[in-house]
Amino acid sequence: MSVIAAEKSAALQQPRPASRKRSMFNTIVGRALLQTGAVALLLLLWQFGVRIGWISDFLFGSPSGIYVTLLRMAGNGELLSDTSYTLFEAILGFIIGTISGSIAGLALWYSIFVARLVEPFIVAINSVPKIALAPIIILWFGTGLVSKVALAVSLTAIVALIAAYQAAKDADTDLQALLVSMGATKHQIFYKAVVPSTIPSIIATFRINIGFGLVGAVVGEFISSQHGLGHLIYNASSFYDLNTVWVGLFVLMLVGFVLYYVIDLVERLLIPWKVSSAVHQLQV
Amino acid sequence: MAAAPIQLSVRNIHKAFAGKGPEVRVLDGLNFDIHEQDFVSIIGPSGCGKTTIFNIIAGLIEPDAGNLVYRGEEVPSLRGQVGYMMQKDLLFPWRTVLGNVLLGLEMRGVDRRAAVDRAREHLHAFGLAGFENAYPKTLSGGMRQRVALIRTLIMDPGILLLDEPFSALDYQTRLYLEGVLKQAVETFNKTVVLVTHDIDEAVALSKRVVVLSGRPARVKTVHDIDIAEHSPIAARSDHRFAGYFRTLCGELDIQTEAKQPETTAS
Repeated sequence: MSVIAAEKSAALQQPRPASRKRSMFNTIVGRALLQTGAVALLLLLWQFGVRIGWISDFLFGSPSGIYVTLLRMAGNGELLSDTSYTLFEAILGFIIGTISGSIAGLALWYSIFVARLVEPFIVAINSVPKIALAPIIILWFGTGLVSKVALAVSLTAIVALIAAYQAAKDADTDLQALLVSMGATKHQIFYKAVVPSTIPSIIATFRINIGFGLVGAVVGEFISSQHGLGHLIYNASSFYDLNTVWVGLFVLMLVGFVLYYVIDLVERLLIPWKVSSAVHQLQV
Repeated sequence: MAAAPIQLSVRNIHKAFAGKGPEVRVLDGLNFDIHEQDFVSIIGPSGCGKTTIFNIIAGLIEPDAGNLVYRGEEVPSLRGQVGYMMQKDLLFPWRTVLGNVLLGLEMRGVDRRAAVDRAREHLHAFGLAGFENAYPKTLSGGMRQRVALIRTLIMDPGILLLDEPFSALDYQTRLYLEGVLKQAVETFNKTVVLVTHDIDEAVALSKRVVVLSGRPARVKTVHDIDIAEHSPIAARSDHRFAGYFRTLCGELDIQTEAKQPETTAS
């Protein structure tokens, strides 16, 4: 918001056509420079603050300490093992939850009666903070991998279900009418008009759900586990080992970041007919 | 043309829709006949229920009363036998041009390879060769509507139902597509029912024009258009064109004078 506002006011101050020219920073390289510069500045200030004693090393850790910890944990394989545990749980939970949720949501299109029947239950289940289920899920599925996957599924499935059902309801009825006039069966309408038109919405939920998959895995690990980034963070924080906590957090961030762009790639492969909205954004 | 047998007879169709207040009667005992290889335009004031007629014929909605007789047999609707084309081109955005053209054939379970061959022939004939793999988004409005026309024709439907198919296009493109349509209809010997706001288009294209009254719709008059010219542009300079145009305008004006005056083109 503030960026747009700033750009607007800048444009207002300079109404000359020259002001439409893109600044040298508004290129891929320029933006990357600004972005890394901002991060570097923050880390430097942090390190400096610790050095002069304004920031507590004990409560906040320090960039240099984080770096040393990162090298040690990466070196002894601890980090890779924890990361792969969490990643596996999150991705498995995401895939099972998103696929089952989407299929259930699409299937509700078939019967308005069933859809209306189950709607209050879906709303009810959705309104429970799924994290509150974590203790029961651990009781039911144990402290191993299965319980983390189950938690991730419980978080992602309902989001996918609601999104898929809504998208199926919103599918263009004119396209469906056209198929009816051609003599299509309900099956054909479903597969040829409804399902394809829901794909963009379903993929949009991938972006949200990949995050929820990670939430499920990490929260599950917080409660009870021997492995994973959640376990690493939780354990380290109970020993006031803030540098290790930060390593865990940064790796989680990196994992989420990479997964987001993987989804982006999947989107472009699956829906080539949809031109990226970023290109068509109105420039003001 | 009077010798042509009746292909579809619309008999005493009634249809009302539930509104907020009392139900709205849209069709009130509608009767007309479509001959084999006919080209009939239906004109009438906006909102008089022209699209409702098409939806009933295509089997998208059911009439409250009345029936349809198709080639001598009473049928509930012509679902699966009509080629329905609307103002919106209704191309499926996730399908390429070829995929869109194949839609109807897939629905019928036509062998894929034969269907593709037929689709390519049609695309070639309509000047769209080379666009097979383009997505609708990248085409102009006129090209998209041409694809929609091919998609309709390739199914070889008994009757083409065209609901203002060209009204969203600019005038030049419309004239061009009217020519394409007229030629295609004559090549494939198709029966066409065209709903239009455009009296000019109705006269230039049709063999007969059905004029509907305002809601609830009844058939007011049916005019035979006796213009020998085949091309819609040449038809517009026929000496009888202006006469037909004036007559039809007059008939519509009676309906529209009381309310705000409406222009002929949308």
